[in-house]
Amino acid sequence: MAPLDPTLSVLLYSSVAAFAAGLGALPQAFRRRLPLALLGWSNALAAGLMLGVAYALLNAGLAERATVAAGGIGALLGLSLVRVAHVGTGTEGMDLNRLDEMGPAYGYQVALVNALHAAHEGVAIGAAMLVSVHFGISMAIALAIHNIPEAMVLVSILAGRGVRVRHAAALAVAVNANQVLTAVVTFAVVRALPVLFPWAVGFAVGALIYLVLAELLPESYRQAGHTGIALVTLVAMGIVVALGGTA
Amino acid sequence: MSAAALVFLCALATALATGLGALPFLFVRTLSERAVAFSNAVAAGLMLGASFGLVSEGTLYGRGATLGGALLGVVFMLFTQRLLGEHHGEGLAFATGRGEDARRMLLMMAVMTMHSFSEGVAVGVSFGGGVTLATLITVAIAVHNVPEGVAITAVMRPRGVSVLRCAGWSIVSSLPQPVMAVPAFLFVDAFRPALPWGLGFAAGAMILMVLVELLPEAFNQGRRPAVATVTALSLVAMVLLQRLL
Repeated sequence: MAPLDPTLSVLLYSSVAAFAAGLGALPQAFRRRLPLALLGWSNALAAGLMLGVAYALLNAGLAERATVAAGGIGALLGLSLVRVAHVGTGTEGMDLNRLDEMGPAYGYQVALVNALHAAHEGVAIGAAMLVSVHFGISMAIALAIHNIPEAMVLVSILAGRGVRVRHAAALAVAVNANQVLTAVVTFAVVRALPVLFPWAVGFAVGALIYLVLAELLPESYRQAGHTGIALVTLVAMGIVVALGGTA
Repeated sequence: MSAAALVFLCALATALATGLGALPFLFVRTLSERAVAFSNAVAAGLMLGASFGLVSEGTLYGRGATLGGALLGVVFMLFTQRLLGEHHGEGLAFATGRGEDARRMLLMMAVMTMHSFSEGVAVGVSFGGGVTLATLITVAIAVHNVPEGVAITAVMRPRGVSVLRCAGWSIVSSLPQPVMAVPAFLFVDAFRPALPWGLGFAAGAMILMVLVELLPEAFNQGRRPAVATVTALSLVAMVLLQRLL
């Protein structure tokens, strides 16, 4: 089999990550209530994978001294943009895994913030693919795993309001679809303009680390014990570092 | 002066540099709950960034050994936590703190001191049997040690330990560096295989400390976006600083 054209790889794997969100409907199809600890473990798993990929990106993409300034400013931009997105949607510091006592706006806020995340995640997939296809695939898998619990919450909220489970699953995928666009655009633009590479890597690193710290970890700490969450996160980071050998 | 003595003096100088990390806290007057959250966030970010550096250096010598070392570091930390935490720090006293405060400070000292052993070996090995680059290596490691002093002070200062004593404890945590650097320098070939294990051990222990102790506490005391911003910026700054050295 001929190797896949790199742009098509980006398209393929970012689509896989987006469609993984549909799996978030599975718990609803079998039972009514989501176990909170399960959300905590999946968030920790995603957090560890994302930290591992951030480490790998820093190592592979910003190894040269000359890239430090662009990478640093890029990271600052990535971080700021996620923050601005949170503030702009009123979801800053909001608990995104709440299943009881939701206000009327909660469902759409969760959908909105998921959609904004997806855009940053796409940039991360594109940047990782620029380092190597292998990195890109690890990144896409990490984000696919992250998308599932994210979608579980959204589907659970919508199902609680009488939306059919398969419709809610379709919405969860639709909300994540923009990451395919940002992944392919990032990849294509930076490949055409290689000078942007450290900026893109920095941007992805800043956005990923901020997401992990602002959302995934604090939520998982409340859903399961500190030590358990730390161990799951560490194991996930270790897996990415171990896989880095074949990059 | 013999080469071994020079290595010892260089490593001692870098250990003293750790004490400089306490200095920024001279300018922090009030230690409100928010300031404590920021301190923890800074410490968490610097330690994560330092761990990233340790892992990437360790994997140059051996990926499997680095990961194996990290596993040992995690087990060591869990064991130490169990040892210190069985009664939530009841009956413990350290510096000005008792109970839970003492437990946290002791853990911090344990993890930072253990990690200095590996760093000392790294220093000795990086002199690599020759001291031509001595000044460069010494300055690089000294600068790298300062944020570690910041991390230690960030955990101790909010618990009422004076800046001077924070500087003292920071230096103590780095004293294994000169102690380990000399044998590692003299017996480079014997120490080199152990290096990735040591570096991995240090990274595993530090990351666990951050994830179990520092971040949850920071999130309890501060607002989430602020804590996340400070931690992320410290992490990226630490990694990029290591690139420049």
